[in-house]
Amino acid sequence: MKVRDIMTRDLTAVEKDIPVRELIFILDNAEMPNVPVVDEENRLIGFISEKDLIRAALPGYFEMLHSASFIPDMNQLANKLTQIADEPIEKYMRPNVLSVTEEDDDLRAADLIIRKGVKSLPVVNGEGRLVGRIRRIDLLRHSL
Amino acid sequence: MIVTVTLNPSVDKVYWVDSLKICQITQEEFLTRATRSSTSAGGKGVNISRFLSAFGMDNVAMGFVGGNTGHVVVRYLQKKGVTTNFVWTHDETRINVVILESGREHSPNLINERGPKITEAEVERFMRRYRRMAKRASWVVLAGSLPPGVDSGIYAELTTIAREGGAKVAISAGGDALTQALDACPYLVKPDTREHLLLGGTSLTSTESIIAAGQHVIACGAQMVVISHDVTGDIAITPDSVWEIKTTVPTSLFKNLVGADDAFLGGIIYKLASEAPVEEVLRFGLAAGIASAESEKKICEDRARVEAEMEKVTVAKLEGVGG
Repeated sequence: MKVRDIMTRDLTAVEKDIPVRELIFILDNAEMPNVPVVDEENRLIGFISEKDLIRAALPGYFEMLHSASFIPDMNQLANKLTQIADEPIEKYMRPNVLSVTEEDDDLRAADLIIRKGVKSLPVVNGEGRLVGRIRRIDLLRHSL
Repeated sequence: MIVTVTLNPSVDKVYWVDSLKICQITQEEFLTRATRSSTSAGGKGVNISRFLSAFGMDNVAMGFVGGNTGHVVVRYLQKKGVTTNFVWTHDETRINVVILESGREHSPNLINERGPKITEAEVERFMRRYRRMAKRASWVVLAGSLPPGVDSGIYAELTTIAREGGAKVAISAGGDALTQALDACPYLVKPDTREHLLLGGTSLTSTESIIAAGQHVIACGAQMVVISHDVTGDIAITPDSVWEIKTTVPTSLFKNLVGADDAFLGGIIYKLASEAPVEEVLRFGLAAGIASAESEKKICEDRARVEAEMEKVTVAKLEGVGG
């Protein structure tokens, strides 16, 4: 089966110059764990997730720890998040974005989602423009 | 690609009842039990998107959504094969209620909420996203009422942006929003006459006034004006002709009028986008509207049924009144 047959046809995306505060609002309300970043031509130029924002708001050494118990309290995260709330998301997005095309097989999408540990992938057309996204649940629903 | 814009979409809740009891004296009579109900995404542009998808025409639905009801709208459209591109707002998408009494389905009882208040920042977010989409659109459909907080000049602005990008614009709206948009020269105009029988300030009270108002809009640059003046008949004005479109289907066969007008416009846009001749455009449009009115569903998605209705539609040039 092709990705186009099972993908979620939604174009929710953000521009790289929107502030972190706005991104959090969109992720929260659209109930999306991540969102593609597009240019003025709707071409995919990046990807940003809740995880990227948490990483940006936590101390640099956090990923070296096995537990959050070394962090004194949530104030540290809240203070850092407040500091970066009006910064453009470009600073925290991942420019090298994984994606699949509408014409790819569902197997390729499943392979990428499993191997890279992501919840969804952007779907683009032949011109690199965003046409939707494919989620883990799309693959599961259509496999039944 | 066709883009539809519904700035004030809704969740449409339809209840079928044997008899609607309102403000009766005894307490037990306040209760009206619905025999059936249905929930769907609503709003004029949303309904048009649904029609186009059912007939295999790719389209993107845009506008504002919010809260749990916003998710209902988005998921419903996606399940119908429509691509969604909505801006999320702080407030909830409205709910519109339709009550259809047994034997009186042709006269639905409607309760429409005003809709959430949209902030300036949300409008700006939408405009940015719209500019991105309008660049690649062949048609843009602007349809329905405006939510609180949105300036009545927005349809004029959206029309200008779409035309600059090379798209044709269809507009189905009423009041100041439509009057202002006429100056931006949309291709197709279908006034929403549910509340005010007005077009560009002219009262549409007779066939003559409808034709005169339509011809005035054509003189401003539009290529087609379609005005519903009767449940089973409409007048279309094009630069060189005036057309009367009628059906022989009696109103007693109507089961749900909600959405029929949007199916009508959806049918017209479907045929215009396919570059069909004017007569076929109008015939198919009214057939789509009548097939929807005859169906309990808001929008008839059955191509064979719409095509069967075409046999009952007549499209005639009104002699002596065209350009």
